[in-house]
Amino acid sequence: MRNLMRYVGALAIVAGASIIADVFSRMTGTSRLTSIFLSSVLLAAFYLGTGPGYLAAIGALLTHLYLVDPPYKFSLGSVDEMNALLLFLAASVLTNLLAGRVREERRQSRARAEMNAALLEAARELSATADEGFIRERLAERLERLAGGPAVVREAAATDAEIGEGWRFRALVAGGATFGVAGWRSPKGHALEREAQAALELLTDTGAAAIARARLDAAKAEAEARARTEDLRNALLSSVSHDLRTPLATILGSATTLKRFSDTFDAETRRDLATTIEEEASRLDAFVSNLLQMTRLQAGVSPLNRIAFGAPEAVRTTVERRTRGRPDSCQVRVEPGLPEAMGDPALFEQALGNVVDNALRYASCGGPVEVAVGRRGGRLVVAVNDRGPGVAEGDLERIFERFFRAAGSERMSGTGLGLAISRGLMEGMDGTVTARPRDGGGLSVELVLPAATA
Amino acid sequence: MSEPAIIMLVDDEPQIARWLNPALRAAGYQVDHAETGTAALARLADSRCDLVLLDLGLPDMDGKDLIPRIREWSETPIIVISARDQEAEKVAALDLGADDFVNKPVGVDELLARIRAALRNRARRVAQQPAFRSADLEVNFAARRVSVEGVEIKLTPREYDLLRVLARQAGMVLTHAQIIGAVWGSDANVEAQHVRVLMAQLRNKLEADPSNPRLLLTETGVGYRLKSDDDA
Repeated sequence: MRNLMRYVGALAIVAGASIIADVFSRMTGTSRLTSIFLSSVLLAAFYLGTGPGYLAAIGALLTHLYLVDPPYKFSLGSVDEMNALLLFLAASVLTNLLAGRVREERRQSRARAEMNAALLEAARELSATADEGFIRERLAERLERLAGGPAVVREAAATDAEIGEGWRFRALVAGGATFGVAGWRSPKGHALEREAQAALELLTDTGAAAIARARLDAAKAEAEARARTEDLRNALLSSVSHDLRTPLATILGSATTLKRFSDTFDAETRRDLATTIEEEASRLDAFVSNLLQMTRLQAGVSPLNRIAFGAPEAVRTTVERRTRGRPDSCQVRVEPGLPEAMGDPALFEQALGNVVDNALRYASCGGPVEVAVGRRGGRLVVAVNDRGPGVAEGDLERIFERFFRAAGSERMSGTGLGLAISRGLMEGMDGTVTARPRDGGGLSVELVLPAATA
Repeated sequence: MSEPAIIMLVDDEPQIARWLNPALRAAGYQVDHAETGTAALARLADSRCDLVLLDLGLPDMDGKDLIPRIREWSETPIIVISARDQEAEKVAALDLGADDFVNKPVGVDELLARIRAALRNRARRVAQQPAFRSADLEVNFAARRVSVEGVEIKLTPREYDLLRVLARQAGMVLTHAQIIGAVWGSDANVEAQHVRVLMAQLRNKLEADPSNPRLLLTETGVGYRLKSDDDA
């Protein structure tokens, strides 16, 4: 259809040139009209291609013969006219050839530029992702577009049924590994058949390289994840072994000492050793329940028993239990007329207990820890305030990460699990726990729970 | 013992001191408690101390670093308290000059036995005793004679060297490296495997049941120890 249009166009150009030539000869009386016809042939050849160019040449020649000497009559005319005619023919053939070649080259270079752009874009797209499935999908699409026909990308070798007439296949090979095969229907009749073939192969190789890189990335990510898990496991192991061992060592030592020297010791020493055993056993118990709770949180099976409960009672119980033997180390202040809190009281006590433990452990040097129970909007707020060394601004969120130990706390016993568990528990109850510097020095950790709707 | 031996406890965990203090005192020792390595060094420099009980986890320094500092000028026995699974730490501490280790957690009887062995060992070293005697085993260093339950046993020179090294510090653990240094010489190209082979030979000659040794004890991952009568 387009071709037909081009030929029609060529005839139209010649027709236009004939009219111009006719008008020109009538006005001037000259019969030297060769240049006008030659121009039309050139125009047609250049813009419409070789075929239309030749058509234009024939058309122009015939019109020329018709128009000149004698006008409006087909005749070869004089010898001079014959010479001019031969020149006309030679010139139109040459023009045609030249213009055709220029046109063809322009077409080719445009096709080449398009191909290069497509390759570049494909390379960019394929290397921008680490998703192998996506790479394969996009590669097939790109091959299809470039080949101007169907294309496939297979993980395994192509089946015989696919290897049909005109199909070409290329293995997806990169770095010595094979990732399958790509195939396309040969772009027969393509402007640049050989170059297109090469481009398709190049595209296939680009795809293979992208797949290789994606696999490498995936392997690296997996190795990193493994290393991180390993780090976590090691940190857990060392902290668990320390936090389990110290109370165990104390219990075993105290118990064997009591057994061995019970006759020698006075009552006070015996009582002190028994107290030590009791304290360390409850420390061990708290630690073990933290570990269990963490495992539950991780497995996502922590059973939530959400009921309305009195926050002040829960706070007092927790503080009492955590400060056993040191009742002066922590003070509780309660705002009057508080609504009940909504949540699991046992989990809340554990979450609060970890925070209180931390305050007592890291900040008891700066004076007693103060726990304030109050309300803010429809929520209950339990603030644990200490006058300890505080936490660096950048670490305020990180102290709730597992195994994070604030600067300066390396030698303190502790797992770096307590606050992480507190956060997990609070969030499981639609509550929050956050830390901020306390006015006048120290740290303030706030546990917030929704109030029960009365 | 005319006056009680003084034991310096270097440990920062208050709850450990809470039972060790009364236990050691009840066992007849005087206790000096240092919570940091620096305090321990200062205290050791200007007061008498017969034995150091050192926890490797200290707030101000690695307990291992303390050992060579003490060894620069003092031969005071050092017993290291360390976790059961930290063999490498124990070996390092022993090679740095610690005399023995106890695993945490430890019962008081085992700890006291180790302390007695270490104190007696020091007395033995000072007195240059000519022989080692325990209930079953006798090693006469002067005559290079070994007997088990009164029956003389013939040993190869290497086997005797191994036994002598262990008997010289009976009750104390010796690392593979220490044994190799004492038996083969410190520049010998010998591996722990050789020690195991030699130990197997020695056990075959001395132990009633070599696969279940009662005299030549293995400290897994660390080294060997010759049982002394102090051991509980």
